[in-house]
Amino acid sequence: MSEATSPEIKIDNFDAWYGDFQALQRITATIAPNHVTALIGPSGCGKSTLLKWINRMNDLVPSARCSGTLQIGQLNALDRATDVVALRRRVGMVFQKPNPFPKSIYDNVAFGPRLHFQVNQAELDELVEWSLRKAALWDEVKDRLRKPALSLSGGQQQRLCIARAIAIGPEVLLMDEPCSALDPSSTAKVEDLIYELRANYTIVIVTHNMQQAARCSDTTMFFYQGQVVECGPTQQVFTRPQQRQTEDYVTGKYG
Amino acid sequence: MEPTPTPSVTPPLSLERLASRRLSDRIFYLLCLGIACSSVAILVLLLVAIGYQGASSLTPTFLSSSHDPENPDAAGMYPALVGSLILCLLCALVALPVGVGSAIFLEEFRPRGRALRWVHGFVQLNIANLAGVPSVVYGLLGLTVFVYMFQWFGKLEQNSISGLDLWGVERYYQFLALDERSAIFIPIENPAEPTFQFSESLAGLDGQLRPIQVQAWEPGQRRPLSAEALARTVRVGEIGGVVEIHRWYYFRLPFGPSLLAGSLTLALVILPIIVIASQEALRAVPNSLREAAAGMGATRWQMTQQVTLPAALPGILTGGILAMGRAIGEAAPIFVVLGGNIGKRTGPEHLLDSCVTMPILIFSWADHPVERYRQLAAAAIIVLVVLLLLMNATAIFIRGRR
Ligand SMILES: Nc1ncnc2c1ncn2[C@@H]1O[C@H](COP(=O)(O)OP(=O)(O)OP(=O)(O)O)[C@@H](O)[C@H]1O
Ligand SMILES: [Mg+2]
Repeated sequence: MSEATSPEIKIDNFDAWYGDFQALQRITATIAPNHVTALIGPSGCGKSTLLKWINRMNDLVPSARCSGTLQIGQLNALDRATDVVALRRRVGMVFQKPNPFPKSIYDNVAFGPRLHFQVNQAELDELVEWSLRKAALWDEVKDRLRKPALSLSGGQQQRLCIARAIAIGPEVLLMDEPCSALDPSSTAKVEDLIYELRANYTIVIVTHNMQQAARCSDTTMFFYQGQVVECGPTQQVFTRPQQRQTEDYVTGKYG
Repeated sequence: MEPTPTPSVTPPLSLERLASRRLSDRIFYLLCLGIACSSVAILVLLLVAIGYQGASSLTPTFLSSSHDPENPDAAGMYPALVGSLILCLLCALVALPVGVGSAIFLEEFRPRGRALRWVHGFVQLNIANLAGVPSVVYGLLGLTVFVYMFQWFGKLEQNSISGLDLWGVERYYQFLALDERSAIFIPIENPAEPTFQFSESLAGLDGQLRPIQVQAWEPGQRRPLSAEALARTVRVGEIGGVVEIHRWYYFRLPFGPSLLAGSLTLALVILPIIVIASQEALRAVPNSLREAAAGMGATRWQMTQQVTLPAALPGILTGGILAMGRAIGEAAPIFVVLGGNIGKRTGPEHLLDSCVTMPILIFSWADHPVERYRQLAAAAIIVLVVLLLLMNATAIFIRGRR
């Protein structure tokens, strides 16, 4: 399964609008491969918007537009000709609220492989087990794979969603506040998982939890009102921020 | 942040006002209870009255025999029961795929382009309008479109063969067998001949269209003894005329006042209901599921087929069953399309066969001058209501299971 190195994401002079409202302005950044990059910033500053453009989820929003370049490895993600289905196969997404399908645990994980690959039952079984192990959920669910996914706890559901996302072997994982609906112990499990997964993926995580960003990210990008104010190694952003706004935000003075 | 100032004066608590508010609350509660009870009471009264009138007529023979214009005690509702069920099923078979398809287009495939968006809005508006059109109007529509087909295939006249037979029709000379009851069919060799004089033993078909060797019998000879032999023997010199036999797969244009025309018309009546119910069901599917599917790289169709539609299915089926209940009870459009004839002795035998339905039967019996028929109407109403209750119970069951 994809143990190859993951791609770099290059964002250059990127603007995004919803109708007339400009949500992102002149974003230029490079997201390093095999790193966890945390996006932080006050509510409404455009973190989710950026995330949703990386895998073109904003195609579902009729009023959303953008300009600039957004390059994933060699692939121009914003090109009209780019096949979003192929793009999303390479760029997996985990959402803020756990959103398993109302199907069995097994079918949730097998959903993506069934869409994209020609696999026989044995291969599928193996893939499901691999993904669930990777998402640190296997031991908890191995005896009830045929039970409905909605019977799991919130934390388990979120890990199931991670398993579901990695089952198609993406190269990039986008996570939009993946722990905001979870209790501390589930959060710790998901954080450990994120830290481990970066060996194989380029990970971008949005979080409102400063400790979380500090704990599990390598690079931190601070957004303010649609712009990137500061971007650097997490250690530095949290201990020696270069900008006033960043300092106010990470020390909790903001707002 | 500033602390909220505490008011310097607290409003005085008037106990008197409290009492009057309690009283009005009580009165309103009783009023609502009364209204709710009275509507149920009217329904119960209706059911009791119908049950009282009809229960004694509700016998197994009533369910298995057909309308008898002379003898009400031998009359039954079998053709209407079968007719209504088949009609309703056929109608659902047409309306469900079309209705669910439209709902999927309207909800899941919202177009981006300006022109298509306009079409989308136009369709949506019209579906809402169509749901409010009286069903008799659909009857007239069905009459022009399905029964007569704008007279493109010739004028349709009562009791005459016109239009365009496509398949499933065969022409034979028809004879009466010696038993004076059974029909015998002889293949036509020369289509120009309108009649045929029977002279010798031939290959033919019996009354049930099974191939037999037809025996000839000269007057004066000894007649065959067994009933079976009598049923396959024809008197020499008998003259047969041409008849049309319609196989179960018979098909023609235009549809005429037939089962098919009736079910298509009813399908139009319930189509807007199904579309609206399916749209509601699709809208109730949380967007997070669509996002999850899209995020996995599902195409719009895969998303619909594997995630949204299964999640909406209970709601769609519930709406479908309720719409079928509406269809089975509709009288007006059926009356316009199929007419009010209740004399047919069997259920419909092919798509273009005529068809009796329960509402029409009830309608004719209910204002029959003979009292006994009016009791039969009550019995038929019981059957119809039981069917409707069964359908609604199924709908509730499906919805409850989720
Ligand atoms: N579908 C939409 N239509 C119109 N405006 C939108 C839409 N989605 C987001 N916006 C606007 O874009 C801006 C950025 O939103 P975004 O969701 O990216 O914020 P965010 O940083 O993720 O905030 P939060 O931390 O609260 O999730 C906000 O001002 C929001 O109102
Ligand atoms: Mg957000």
